[in-house]
Amino acid sequence: MSEAPTPNETGGWETLAREAACRLESGGDLSELQQFLTFRLDGAFYAVPVERVREIVRIRPITPVPRLPAEVLGVISLRGEIVEVVDLRRRLGLEPTEPARRSRIIVVHGGDGSIAGLLVDGVTEVLSVDESDLRAASGDAVESLCVRGDEFVSLLDLNRVLEIDGNQ
Amino acid sequence: MAARKKTRTRKARVVSKADKEFISEAEEILERMRLDLADLSDQRAAGEEVDPELVNRLFRSAHSLKGLANLFGFDPVQNLAHHLEDVLDGLRLGRVLLSVAVVDVVDRTASLFAKLLSAVGDTAAIEAMSEAVQALIAEIELAKQPVETQAEEFATLDIEASLLRALTEYEEHRLRENLRRGRNILLVDATFEIISFEEGLSELTTAIREIGEVLSTLPAPGESSKAQICFSLLVASDLTSTEVDARFEFPDTTVRSVAAARNPAPAAAGKSVSTSVSEPIATVDPPDGAAPATSNDAPQIQPPDPREFESLKSISDTVRVDIRKLDELMNLVGELVIQRSALGDLVSRLHGDPATARIGSDFGKVHKALDGKLRELQSAVLEVRMVPLRQVFEKVSRVVRRLRVELEKDVRLELCGADTELDKLIVEELIDPLMHIVRNALDHGIESPNERSEKGKDPQGCIKIDAFQRGNHVVIAVSDDGRGIDRERLRAKAEAKGVIEPGDVLTDQENLDLIFAPGVSTRDEVTEISGRGVGMDVVRHNLAPLGGVVEVDSEPGQGTTISMTLPITLAIIRSVLVAVADQRFAIPLNTVQETLSIDPEQIQRSEDREILNHRGDALLLLRLSDAFGLAGLSRDEKSFVVVLGMGDSRIGLIVDRLEGQQDTVIKPIQGPIPTIRGIAGATELGDQYPVLVLDVSALLDDALHRKEAA
Amino acid sequence: MQRILIVEDSATMRALLVSALDEMPTPVKITETESGFEALRVLPRQRFDLILTDINMADINGLELVSFVKSNETYRSIPLVIVSTEGSDRDRDKGLSLGADAYLVKPFDPEELRQIAQDLLSRAPRSNEG
Repeated sequence: MSEAPTPNETGGWETLAREAACRLESGGDLSELQQFLTFRLDGAFYAVPVERVREIVRIRPITPVPRLPAEVLGVISLRGEIVEVVDLRRRLGLEPTEPARRSRIIVVHGGDGSIAGLLVDGVTEVLSVDESDLRAASGDAVESLCVRGDEFVSLLDLNRVLEIDGNQ
Repeated sequence: MAARKKTRTRKARVVSKADKEFISEAEEILERMRLDLADLSDQRAAGEEVDPELVNRLFRSAHSLKGLANLFGFDPVQNLAHHLEDVLDGLRLGRVLLSVAVVDVVDRTASLFAKLLSAVGDTAAIEAMSEAVQALIAEIELAKQPVETQAEEFATLDIEASLLRALTEYEEHRLRENLRRGRNILLVDATFEIISFEEGLSELTTAIREIGEVLSTLPAPGESSKAQICFSLLVASDLTSTEVDARFEFPDTTVRSVAAARNPAPAAAGKSVSTSVSEPIATVDPPDGAAPATSNDAPQIQPPDPREFESLKSISDTVRVDIRKLDELMNLVGELVIQRSALGDLVSRLHGDPATARIGSDFGKVHKALDGKLRELQSAVLEVRMVPLRQVFEKVSRVVRRLRVELEKDVRLELCGADTELDKLIVEELIDPLMHIVRNALDHGIESPNERSEKGKDPQGCIKIDAFQRGNHVVIAVSDDGRGIDRERLRAKAEAKGVIEPGDVLTDQENLDLIFAPGVSTRDEVTEISGRGVGMDVVRHNLAPLGGVVEVDSEPGQGTTISMTLPITLAIIRSVLVAVADQRFAIPLNTVQETLSIDPEQIQRSEDREILNHRGDALLLLRLSDAFGLAGLSRDEKSFVVVLGMGDSRIGLIVDRLEGQQDTVIKPIQGPIPTIRGIAGATELGDQYPVLVLDVSALLDDALHRKEAA
Repeated sequence: MQRILIVEDSATMRALLVSALDEMPTPVKITETESGFEALRVLPRQRFDLILTDINMADINGLELVSFVKSNETYRSIPLVIVSTEGSDRDRDKGLSLGADAYLVKPFDPEELRQIAQDLLSRAPRSNEG
């Protein structure tokens, strides 16, 4: 009884709240633009297409799963669904760290109707990008770059991110 | 309705993720509004007085819709919702007359909302509707007929100022109305334990609604203990406080009068608001069917009907329980089972020593008796989880009632077997597939009344839901007497989707079963009713994890039957919990032959394999820590062996600890690497950490295969 | 860490409040409840340093919650903000007269919310728990 009540799922609303706020501010019509959810990883900005994002959840207990490569941290329970969480830092060859207060798990739609979790350092905003502002990139999992202020945002190719070799 | 005919192909719409979420929450609100509107129309049609809470809920829905549209910058909905909220606010506060025109315009506004929502992302379509929005707003304003209200002061009331201060404007209005009507105003004070006040309060509120209206519910700190909480309920009733007090058998509850009934307000005042929602309400008729006391004979209180007491009693005989509490109970039983195994170990140790053999035998008997009672307890707890399908059926009826109006179809719904019981968890998973099937039957199965008449059928269609138990399963069959499934179209669709080749020869059943193939039953266009392009394949997919099966049978021109067969409790399987390196794993009980506690010196070696002499047989051992690359206990510590067997194969799995048995629901793992050798899935045991379930056949296979190679 | 209790029946609004408060200069711990009843159950379990409540809710209304908190020895000192959609002035005046410390109109400005929260939290005695 003395335990703290668990906070409710923030779910997809977190994205939406930010997106809505962003839309309220700009007041513009975004239908012509592509939208990306941006997040921080090791001091840099990355993004995935908004339509691939199912929800964003806070860090929760992760059960390690044997026989999986280190990029997959383990599984979480998401309202009854059991979902693997990919350590995006490791997956992109960055220095792994312990999850912090702002860390989030972005739950994305995989190619085959399943879902997967991506551990990131923190979700920042929803970015609307005109296709002409995209620059091609040749990274392993980075599809293209876009400029936001004086910083670059790396747009990830989710299909490639989720292609993880299971045979260890 | 017109909205349905204007379906669009999905391609034309650019619907973003945010829009989808907006649509889905807005649709939920809209659905609630429509149900409330349907109830309101029913009440008016039946000549009943309209429940003020209904109008208040409608107001809250419009309010939420406005807030949501505002947040997402969806102007047309926001604008419309604003005007709707305004008129509903007037209605609930008794400032606007509840006229036929108002109900009609509110109804049409709800329909326009649906249209607008279905067009989110399609700027041209929204633009095309802007005229309709403006026209409707004008109509809303026109339909508003103001009602003269006169303020009544509450100074004469015997209530603490703090209670009056916490009333919202709406609650003040309801108090004023009930005073004007000359009803008794009572204050019911009740004290509850803080941890469980909701059950008690809801019982009390339900009982009060039988005899009047709850105007407000004010919480206050408990007087004698911090663990308690008091509620002061302001109640309007035709009964006096003494009568109410006599009827209630609630502990720690007092009733007192705040304002006694007086003669009703003069007829003139009553007349001007005679059709307004501000008329007094008798929410529930007395069970004997007597009409609620009208303002003319208000003082004549009927003697309480004995059956009313019965109904009150039946309320207090039932306790509503949070399913999580049942899970807790189940876990406790699981822990008891663990303790029982520990006792079993003690018994065998006592047996093993000649000096204690006699006491061991007595102990053994007690242990056995305890064991039997534990099993009974376990099945009793499982039984509590069983719920009748009645609630699901009620939900289906509501949806059908609403849809038949919307689709302009004349349908009656027949429900059989509402008392059939299923595990609460299965019932919850069942609702969506069942709704989907029923919607399909209404939308695509049942023909329009004209079409039916032309075919010589009864113009009124029939959908029948039949639920019954068959062995350890429950069958739920949804039948309609509609047009049946068009085999040719189904086949053509399946060919187009590449499910079958044009030349393939199919039996009639195979042809029908194509409805379950991915994408085949998905409609190209999105209709308001069947919506979002969900097909029967999804129904089948949803039922699979429950161990459920769905089948179809259809006679052209005669109708279609979809039956779902579900296990009564199979969603729950018994598992043995083990721990290695402080991580828990679950092993399905049906693969576990026995569990042993062993000392390190009992383990023998043959080449690089470990073997246990188990009743004269060589039992090959496998350390789970080795198989999974975990840091288990060191090899010279006492450990446990779970003897796993499937078919003729057996191995002993070495684990650090046994943690008893639990009922588990096995779920598949989703993610980039969904299949992991040796792991069948995962289960949740209530502590947030998913627990992995071992794939025993794979582990056996690996272990034994290696033995042959060695 | 200071704790904030949110009482709000709309999931969207809750998410907005949380995301605004997540950006507070000093981190806070947030407990979300979706009804007045839930809030009543949660209140005794731990100390809160700030309460944000909606007015229009299904079980008990926000004013009743304010009245409860402000008439209670144990909770009286917890600052309380009403966050409600532009409603009637009367409800607003009532809320403040019942002892609410501030009234914020939805849709609110996140910066304004943070400012108010920061002010009220700095007044509140810091809790020792968690």
